Amino acid sequence: MKARKRVVTDRVRTAEPSPPPRRTAARGRGLPNARPSTARADQPRVPPAALRAADVDLSIDLAPERHGQLVLGNPILVASGTFGYGIEYSEVVEVERLGAICCKGTTLKPRFGNEPPRVTETPAGMLNSIGLQNPGVDAVIEKYSALWASWRVPIIVNVAGESIEDYVAVVRRLDGVPGVAGIELNISCPNVGKGGLQFAVDKDAAGAVTAAVRRATDLPLMVKLSPNVADVRAIARAIEDGGADSICAINTLSGMAMDRARRKPLLGNTYGGLSGPAIRPVALRIVYEVAQVVRIPIVAIGGVAALDDVLDFLMAGASAVQVGTALFADPALPIRLIDELAAWCAARGLTSHRELIGAALPPGKGGSGHGRDRPSVKGVEYRP
Amino acid sequence: MRLLDAELLESREILPAQFLQTFHAPWLASGSRAGQFIHVRTPDYSGLVLRRPFSINTVNVLAGTISIHFRITGKGTEWMARARPGERLDVLGPLGRPFEVDRRTHHVLLVAGGLGMAGVRALADESLAAGRRVTLLFGAAGASEVYPSSLLPTEVEYVVATDDGSLGHHGFVTDLVPEYEALADQAFACGPEPMLAALARLARGRDARLGVARLGRKGGRSSRSSGALGTAAARRRAWLQVSMEQNMGCAVGACLGCVVHGVEGPVRVCREGPVFAAEEIAWEAPA
Repeated sequence: MKARKRVVTDRVRTAEPSPPPRRTAARGRGLPNARPSTARADQPRVPPAALRAADVDLSIDLAPERHGQLVLGNPILVASGTFGYGIEYSEVVEVERLGAICCKGTTLKPRFGNEPPRVTETPAGMLNSIGLQNPGVDAVIEKYSALWASWRVPIIVNVAGESIEDYVAVVRRLDGVPGVAGIELNISCPNVGKGGLQFAVDKDAAGAVTAAVRRATDLPLMVKLSPNVADVRAIARAIEDGGADSICAINTLSGMAMDRARRKPLLGNTYGGLSGPAIRPVALRIVYEVAQVVRIPIVAIGGVAALDDVLDFLMAGASAVQVGTALFADPALPIRLIDELAAWCAARGLTSHRELIGAALPPGKGGSGHGRDRPSVKGVEYRP
Repeated sequence: MRLLDAELLESREILPAQFLQTFHAPWLASGSRAGQFIHVRTPDYSGLVLRRPFSINTVNVLAGTISIHFRITGKGTEWMARARPGERLDVLGPLGRPFEVDRRTHHVLLVAGGLGMAGVRALADESLAAGRRVTLLFGAAGASEVYPSSLLPTEVEYVVATDDGSLGHHGFVTDLVPEYEALADQAFACGPEPMLAALARLARGRDARLGVARLGRKGGRSSRSSGALGTAAARRRAWLQVSMEQNMGCAVGACLGCVVHGVEGPVRVCREGPVFAAEEIAWEAPA
């Protein structure tokens, strides 16, 4: 086989289907994918020709320290703010096949959001300045948690706030709610005045809010990085040290557009967050940088619009990807990506997409060039 | 709501830079109502990432076709204008909520400003089919932008106003409304927001001008308590319904990008709208 011969997956279960994703902490414990079984490492690899797409194991654990509390059936998530609460697209998308749904940013109190217009198209992307419009955490739980609990797909609730107390209060209310599989901490929204971004641009603040939320809940915790900083690596490290289970990169880039006819900024909020293919190279660079300094799984987000983008992010060190802007044009894209990824892996004899994770990282930095002495948490084991 | 491939059957430039395109989409033709819209995907390779929303302009159930009417305003519509018959477009629809016409309404007044014709055009057909009389007031900048009467059913009473006076009434289309408001049981409008705001002001004063008695249960239709704002029933009771426009992202209610100010907070044009009762919208004061 290829250069990846020394790499073996930690879960060589080629014939088994992926484990079903789990929704609650209680149901998740003790299920069979917690730790790698080293006994299987000596066995010969399955010959590539025998692989069918259905045999490829696309499952991924986004909270390896939490004993399988957040094991996704596949690594394709839908991004917060683009998929509402999951129900909006359910007429045209098989939502339950998704790896996970990150719901719209949720705050303690209801928020009206920013002045319209709130969205506009830009070259290969779009600007949005929604401003975290949402009915507040209590209303979200009341309205959607029963539906979420009935779904097979894990729901990761995106949480935003203006202060550490806000974040903690929201997370406390979500803790133990049926249907809530995890928390995505939005410390990087560029569209709100107070709070929002301030936590993502300072490593001490990022670490503090992560640690405070970590103490408040046992739910798997993913923290979303902002690209609007000079060096994300220190912030990523602080978030890992704060106890996050995974890191999500990246949020939107701050930008603006002009209304030439009216000679004023186009968006009601003046500034908006840029998303879409335009920011993909930035996201790729940040994922690549972060993957070299943290051990927790990375969820890549930023302009994913095709299978090639998914592969790029996996090779840069991401364990999973989120699809956002691209699904406005093509709501069927996330489901198609799952099938395409399985087919791509099968055609190359990969038993799991996990073999790709970090393949492009430099040797000794999580890359596949040389072994490293610490155990990987990205689902890939290296022989010493 | 469905994702479908609709074949373009015909594309006509009916006015300078304004196109009327007919698509074969039987499911949309039989399953949509006047006021609803479709979200059309533009090609990826041009770097466009958003779909474009279009009101359903006319529907032919027997032929299984729908048409849309648009003006070239940017790259997306430019691309659409170049599409040739036989091409298949990726369409999401029908979306949004339709106009709600009261069962007892005999005479509908449609008010359209410019491209707003696309928003109310389908209701003319629907009302005629239901045996109602239709008066259509249309406003444009000049004679060259007036919607051709040949494209309207002959039964429609068509009254034109132009800003420069080159055809019909010299002035805004809203100037014509007081002449017709007494005849019409309900009014439906689509056009620039200042026009809709002016109509909403006219509609508020209509009962007083006409001496309409507010009778009936719970004090009549002006009472908020007689039905939750925004329900189909409440809209059916409203004299004026408007079709609103806003930059749109997902068009299914997920992204909250297309909101406008409602009296009870932000409302999504794609989900609660695009049709609203005039009293649901918090109109800006005239400049």
